[in-house]
Amino acid sequence: MSSDPHSHGHGHSHYHDAHEAIVSDDAPGYYEIMETAVRELLIAKGLITANDIRHQIEVLDSRTPALGAAVVARAWTDPAFKGRLLENGRAGCEEMGISFYDDTQLIVLENTESVHNLIVCTLCSCYPRPVLGLPPDWYKLKPYRARAVIEPRKVLAEFGTIIPDDVEVRVSDSTAVIRYLVLPRRPAGTEGCTEEQLAALVTRDAMIGVIPVTLNDGAAQ
Amino acid sequence: MDTSALSAIRPALFERPSFTVGDRVRVSKRAPIGHYRVPIYLRGIAGSIVRVIEPAFVDNEEEGYGRNAGNKRHYYRVAFAMPDLWPDYAGSPNDELQIEIIETWLEQI
Amino acid sequence: MSVEDFVSRLPNDIGGAAAGPVDRVEHELEPWEKRCHALADVLDFRKLINTEEKRKGVEALGESLIGKLPYYERWIVAFANIGFTKGFFTPTELAEKMAEVEARTADHPKPL
Repeated sequence: MSSDPHSHGHGHSHYHDAHEAIVSDDAPGYYEIMETAVRELLIAKGLITANDIRHQIEVLDSRTPALGAAVVARAWTDPAFKGRLLENGRAGCEEMGISFYDDTQLIVLENTESVHNLIVCTLCSCYPRPVLGLPPDWYKLKPYRARAVIEPRKVLAEFGTIIPDDVEVRVSDSTAVIRYLVLPRRPAGTEGCTEEQLAALVTRDAMIGVIPVTLNDGAAQ
Repeated sequence: MDTSALSAIRPALFERPSFTVGDRVRVSKRAPIGHYRVPIYLRGIAGSIVRVIEPAFVDNEEEGYGRNAGNKRHYYRVAFAMPDLWPDYAGSPNDELQIEIIETWLEQI
Repeated sequence: MSVEDFVSRLPNDIGGAAAGPVDRVEHELEPWEKRCHALADVLDFRKLINTEEKRKGVEALGESLIGKLPYYERWIVAFANIGFTKGFFTPTELAEKMAEVEARTADHPKPL
């Protein structure tokens, strides 16, 4: 094995650069080989099974922001559900059939006329994975993690979100067993929408709290 | 039935939370070596308990050393005023930071 | 930074640190990255390496490596180091297995 980590797959580590495409080399890279080797050794020693990994990949693939969006749309249309969700976020999601595979609790943070919530993990990358899937890279990188707690309004402005001075910005830093999900404000003009139509408006970034939900640009993310 | 048995129940050490909503607390200023889950920017800062997290959970910092069945203690959601954390804070003075902190790091004011 | 901070401040504890603008970068996970994430979860479920041990293992890489290595690269190195400590495998076993995987996959894109 070469000791030079850059001799293989060296394009893999370049996704820190926003504008560089992700290149897949022909041969796997050093760390990809390490992943395969660690996994195969653990399987060979009977500590884990190949099926454990396959199954967990399916679990991860089944968790997307569409789940969080469904929770938000239900909360917007069912006040009793919203009450239960704000009381116990995990139980509210479980009520909709969204299981929590990772032993975390969930606090749902409601945006109102007077409070705007923003979530971050300054110590690592805690994120409500059971309801949103895996976090985007920017959430895991230093600028967001370092600055969201000290200058949240500037960070929000970089996402195009300007919060008036009379609205409190409330940053939640997740460090322990608790994860957060922002319940965005329901946009005006959606009175006639069905729950499904509402869910289609709710973006991942709105549930992190960096942008509002708007009527115009729904919802692929 | 003897109802005095119910009223005589004594909870064990650490079974009940030590703090309640509205309590003013200060994050311990200690700086241990090893592993921690309370960011340095909070050390020594005063805040208010806004929520007691039930039930108690395993202490993350002990878990870091492989003690999966380590001690359980209560976590609290604590609110801090941004200007208390950052003297030069540029946003609104009403802005807040909220975070969960395990009991071992909190001191009653 | 005082000398005490060298040992009492974790390298990944960066709340409030100076940093540049947020670049809204994201990428679709590569298959090995997703496998690495699944591996992390399975190690936790099987009570082999819990999430907090993984975080501590990443912190143990130190500030300079944390700054240079991308996300899942940090995880897999942490898992290897913790695996040695817990006796799951030895450095020699991992080196030999990596050589085997490399030889096996040299002509094929993407091992599985």
